[in-house]
Amino acid sequence: MVRKLSLGFAALALAAGLAAAAPAFAQADSVVEAARAAGTVGEQTDGYLGIVAGASASADVRARVDQINIRRRAAYTERAAASGASANEMAAAVACQIFTSRIDVGERYRNEAGQWVQRTASAPVQVPSFCSR
Amino acid sequence: MRQFQIFALLGAVLMAACVPVRVVAPDRPIEINLNVNIRQEVVVRLEGQARDLLQDNPDLF
Repeated sequence: MVRKLSLGFAALALAAGLAAAAPAFAQADSVVEAARAAGTVGEQTDGYLGIVAGASASADVRARVDQINIRRRAAYTERAAASGASANEMAAAVACQIFTSRIDVGERYRNEAGQWVQRTASAPVQVPSFCSR
Repeated sequence: MRQFQIFALLGAVLMAACVPVRVVAPDRPIEINLNVNIRQEVVVRLEGQARDLLQDNPDLF
């Protein structure tokens, strides 16, 4: 009886562990991640991904970037509605988070002036002016 | 004759006083740029939401 119970608990614990790990399966698009690392794709201050000017991105990469941007737009719109803001405002708030902590050295990003800049180890990311400091 | 002179002087002074003062309206309305401040305020308010959104969508960011 005790053994059966402990087995049941083990199964429960396993199920809980799996449930907790589930979101990790929804990983970022590896093709887009590779393009990001290669400096072909980068983050923009408007909260969306962009194809770096002058970079040659494949049709596949472009389509995947479009797809992510469409889904980002949906996420911004949904979350904005819940807090009485516009999708663009939500996108700007997310861009602030991305620009302050999620752009790695070597990646390219589009600054507020619209220029594509590569992040180097020596210079900090140019955070948009509408972000709180 | 003297009276005439006084009148002429008075007239001249009155005429001078009547030169209209022109107030020129600016051809463009005054722009008050509050955009940046408003956005900054909104961004601050949405900071927590933005953080959650990023964490909840690892496939998009």
